[in-house]
Amino acid sequence: MKKADKKKTIAGKSILSFILILVAVVQIFPLIWLINFSLASSVEMFTKGLLIIPKKIQWGNYIKAYVDGHFLLYLKNSVLINVLAVVLVIFISIMAAFACKRMYWKLRGFVKIVLLLGMMIPIHATLLPNYKIYSSLDITDTLWAVLIPYVAFSLPQGMFLMTSFLDAVPEELEEAAVIDGCGIYRILFQIVTPLLKPAIATVSIMTFLNNWNEFIMASTYLSTPKWKTMPFSLLEFTGQYSSNYAVQFAVMALTAAPAILVYILLNKHITKGVAMGAIKG
Amino acid sequence: MKKKLIAMLMLVVMIGALLAGCGKEKGKETGSVSQGESTKKEEKTPPKDENITIKVFSNLPDRKNGQGLVEQMIIDEYMELNKNVTIEVEALDEEAYKTKFKAYAMNGMPDVVSIWGQPSFIDEVLDAGVLAELNETDYNDYKFISGSLEGFKKDGKLYGLPRNSDVMAFYYNQKIFEDNGWKVPATYEELLLLGKSIKEAGMVPVAMDGGDGWPLAILLTDLLLKVNGDCSSIVTPAVAQGNFTSGEMKKTTELLVEAAKSGLFQTGYDSQDYGTAMNLFTNGQAAMFYMGSWETSMARNQDIPEEIRNNIRAFTMPVVEGGKGKATDIAAWNGGGYAVSAHSEVKGEAIKFLNFMYQPDKLSKYGWENGVGMSAQDQTEFLSGNETELQMQFMEFLKNATSVSGTPINDCGPSIFKTVIESEIQSVSNGTKSVDEFLTNIGLACK
Repeated sequence: MKKADKKKTIAGKSILSFILILVAVVQIFPLIWLINFSLASSVEMFTKGLLIIPKKIQWGNYIKAYVDGHFLLYLKNSVLINVLAVVLVIFISIMAAFACKRMYWKLRGFVKIVLLLGMMIPIHATLLPNYKIYSSLDITDTLWAVLIPYVAFSLPQGMFLMTSFLDAVPEELEEAAVIDGCGIYRILFQIVTPLLKPAIATVSIMTFLNNWNEFIMASTYLSTPKWKTMPFSLLEFTGQYSSNYAVQFAVMALTAAPAILVYILLNKHITKGVAMGAIKG
Repeated sequence: MKKKLIAMLMLVVMIGALLAGCGKEKGKETGSVSQGESTKKEEKTPPKDENITIKVFSNLPDRKNGQGLVEQMIIDEYMELNKNVTIEVEALDEEAYKTKFKAYAMNGMPDVVSIWGQPSFIDEVLDAGVLAELNETDYNDYKFISGSLEGFKKDGKLYGLPRNSDVMAFYYNQKIFEDNGWKVPATYEELLLLGKSIKEAGMVPVAMDGGDGWPLAILLTDLLLKVNGDCSSIVTPAVAQGNFTSGEMKKTTELLVEAAKSGLFQTGYDSQDYGTAMNLFTNGQAAMFYMGSWETSMARNQDIPEEIRNNIRAFTMPVVEGGKGKATDIAAWNGGGYAVSAHSEVKGEAIKFLNFMYQPDKLSKYGWENGVGMSAQDQTEFLSGNETELQMQFMEFLKNATSVSGTPINDCGPSIFKTVIESEIQSVSNGTKSVDEFLTNIGLACK
């Protein structure tokens, strides 16, 4: 009887491992595919079979991507813009969430709804009006031209997660802090914020990933290379009709690397953050 | 506490109002100054040695290959010859280009821009009055092919210059054809039969970029020319009336559907893009590839295996039995080109640069030498004897043409018509929509 049980457990574990490995392979495959194609030549790209065995490994694709794709400049811009966007989104969403959830004032419900409504506005609908506004403010082709919309479009999502997560923080903590003489900013930044860590990680990663790959707003509001971001690298290899796919794959591999790194670093918190944020409203 | 709060709130409102006031004033000032300046600057020509910056907005982001390289070569040459001129290029791919073009049209365009001399694009742009008028007599010696400037005109005035003459054809692999005993088809029916034989041999007959919609629309134009003998007599009134249900249009669409049904194109052609289709051909998996003359550079592309690139040849759409079109009536048109912004602060210098680009030994010559397609100017004097057989074939197509289709059907109407026909043509070719539905829907898009 015991032997049979043991057999059952081993069989169950094997099936589970098999399924998990399968899921992992499916998840990781696009990355393998990306790196594989980035080392082949453009002509080999559409041969039969999922992966290519390149006749000669084309390291040159990476050199072209790095040099002709202005990789360093665009990386610097992307990192700066994204870090600023993440910091601003976190800062504003924590304050807004706290104000709408824990502070009692007349229009708090309305303000929360207005802020969350931002999630429903499609980016394309705002392109031309925003361009007109930035133009009259003379901020097109500056850092602000991309930073403002990046923060604005990430804020509703950040605010939504922060408000949901704030429910999990007991009000008694704040009451105790008030009794001990804490002011509102001290309560918010020294008592509440440390407890929001998983939500902060989740919002950070979502904001970062969304804005890291954003192109249409950047291409509309920026003209000179000064503030252009990583997706512009890809464009350097886009022809009028067909493109240099192999180098584009190399650019994508280089572009994906920092995003993957951020994901790995914050991965621990994101699952927790999404799960906890999801069940509260 | 409450008092403090009210005081704080009032302070914030006050600062906000002050800042808003400043912003408005500043906006007003900038607006009026720039307006005044632009009119002033339009009139004055900058002194000879004054540093001038010309902004070029291009739809050719790849500056190291193809047409983008040719454009960049001329820009570098111009800056070398005119040390006081700096040319700044902003290049985006077509979709992003068109979005930003709209933004620029609202708030001031760069000095030199890429444009398309087709109603779907140029009509709205000319109505907005953002392009500068050019003096047509300036270009008498520029050897433009007769009729090539027409697409860039409105009320007899010229607003842009064409860059290319595009010819649509079937590229084929001569070696594969010879090895299998296949012959270049003389009629459309023969083409379909050939397609079946190629399919039976385990190859893709024609690699088709159906994912984009426009190559299928050009195929429809090509077939209409063979059915009716000319396109404009059918398409122009149909666009004006929003009615495409004529017998010729119906027959042409049925011919296209028949080709797709008979398996002339690769499996999944309606979702595969340009690169996929082209690579099927350059890998030797497809025997033919339906594309424009800009791809003659395949014959020089070192990335394509030698035995394939040396054997690429082309033929134009064969005649349709019972059709009015001759074998020498070809699908050809003048598409993209350049124009100067009407409100450019350096309009004089921008036009000078545009004229420099179009000197016959510049855009036209460099384009020919780099094999990036055929220019809208006469290129015969640049024949060096080093041309590929493919280049010569395309030159012959144009030389022997008895008539050309002009602007492809998808670019003949308003921009919404372009969007609708390019999506509906995929549905009609793969059988998800009937021919009648297709014709009705594209008609409605014109209304």
